[in-house]
Amino acid sequence: MGNLKENQAAYYPGCALLTIDRAYNNSSKLVSKKMGIELVDIPDYNCCGIGEMKSKGAVSLYLPLRNMVIAKSELGSKDLVMACSVCYHEFTRSIERAKEDKKLLDEVNSILKEADEEEYVPEGGARHILEFLYNEKGPDEAKKNTVKPLKGLKVAPYYGCLYSRPSMYTFTDKKQGMDNSERPHFMHEFLESIGAEVVQYGNEVQCCGGRNVVQDEETSFTLCSQTLSKAKKAGADVLAVICPKCAGALDVNQPKIIEKFGKDSELPVVYLTQLMALAFGFSEKEAQFSDMISNPLEVLKEKGHFI
Amino acid sequence: MAKEHNKNSERPVAEKGEHIIARHLIDDDAIKEEKNLVIDGVDVSGRWNTFIETRVDSEFDRSFFDEIQKTVVGSRINRCWQCGMCTASCTVTPLYRRFNPRAFIYMMQLGNLKLLKKYTDVAWRCVGCYKCSQRCPKQVNPAEMMEALALLIKKYFPEEIKSKHQLTIDEEVKVIYEGMILGHGRLDLANLHTSAMRKMGKTTELMSDKDERGAIFKMMKDGRALSVLRLGKPHKWHKSKDAIDNYLRHTGTLEQENN
Repeated sequence: MGNLKENQAAYYPGCALLTIDRAYNNSSKLVSKKMGIELVDIPDYNCCGIGEMKSKGAVSLYLPLRNMVIAKSELGSKDLVMACSVCYHEFTRSIERAKEDKKLLDEVNSILKEADEEEYVPEGGARHILEFLYNEKGPDEAKKNTVKPLKGLKVAPYYGCLYSRPSMYTFTDKKQGMDNSERPHFMHEFLESIGAEVVQYGNEVQCCGGRNVVQDEETSFTLCSQTLSKAKKAGADVLAVICPKCAGALDVNQPKIIEKFGKDSELPVVYLTQLMALAFGFSEKEAQFSDMISNPLEVLKEKGHFI
Repeated sequence: MAKEHNKNSERPVAEKGEHIIARHLIDDDAIKEEKNLVIDGVDVSGRWNTFIETRVDSEFDRSFFDEIQKTVVGSRINRCWQCGMCTASCTVTPLYRRFNPRAFIYMMQLGNLKLLKKYTDVAWRCVGCYKCSQRCPKQVNPAEMMEALALLIKKYFPEEIKSKHQLTIDEEVKVIYEGMILGHGRLDLANLHTSAMRKMGKTTELMSDKDERGAIFKMMKDGRALSVLRLGKPHKWHKSKDAIDNYLRHTGTLEQENN
């Protein structure tokens, strides 16, 4: 593979986006392309560790950094764009730890050498698609591309945890151009630029159950029901997310949450990029709204955004 | 709240030590409190005369501290000055009052295994939201300190993991993750979910519950559930796996002992 062209960026898809969250993957690519950047998958990616390998020492760094090495050697890119917040966390964490701890970096490089991969040199960084699109193109570019403004659609933006926290890894508040760690607003601005109405509900940066979504459903359901019901009470038609793990907890598990906490928690969940794709003129099929379990199609039809 | 009322006033009298924040951290015997007490004509019943006896910790184990500091996740344990910002911002503490990151870090600093053992049932509940690490004034990174805590529990209380149902499940789900991530280099989410449900004894829910079946059936039908098969393993992943295994065999730290 050759080096990237000027309007291309190296992209890490990750396990969720290539399988059950294909809607997020495809809509991210559609939206980026429309805004003038083509996302190019790195070849031969491996799992980032999804936060479950943290107790394995240097291995938890090896998993993301092997992908950084591939981005550099195969695509000639120091930076890597990704849409999943958990992947983003694992990558930023590994890069920062490798920068500050020489011994740890040496350990990672010795594993890389033994695995017949190239050496990792700490440079460049991981970028979340929301931050990437905001800083490279911005809401104005999104507004320019909007052909079907989502007029009258009330959207509750949900950032979750790892997009903005902790700033020791994500550099929110710390580096110019980055989002705010306690009150992120990039998603707000994109939603406004595509004509949607942003709803404030207080749980924008709360947790969905994170690490324990699978093994501790009870806690996850409680946290998610708070977020869903608060957003619904504030008048939201849909909840917009930027992480497949949040979607797993809030969307895929929603029928079970409703069973436990009642209809107050019934709220369609969509990805931000799906809404942007819709506003950019792609069809509901291209944006793959039917993939979501919480059925956003109905409310979107009701609001008149489909032909 | 106690229903009993003081003779001299209508002020309700609380249970012994009820008003103490993180009450569970203090032994019953260490709390000195008189239910009805009047001194020089001033009513100081209940919480107004509470004393907590000084606690002396004689089992201070410094080697324990070093053991944690050598791990990647626990490397900043020395920085903690016990301000409690982590517990104040914690997502889990309001749901499970005995989950107290500040106290856990304190116990780890002192090497107080006896006390830690009392909390093995809640210690695994960290959701990894990183609010604590965001707000920690000393960059201790408490969220990752909870991972170090899990390592300690695994080393010193393996019998607790085997005997406590939820701990067993947490451990088994971790093993499924590990098998997929290290073994295949990629995660099969649909398979992970169904395997975890089986481990949790929710097989019937998997097959009969209409909602659960709904999500899984939908993903089977539109091809998402099985799309991971098309992905396969990363090229020459076996080399990575061998190198990882080799590293984990020789770290000489807590991480190795837990492998």
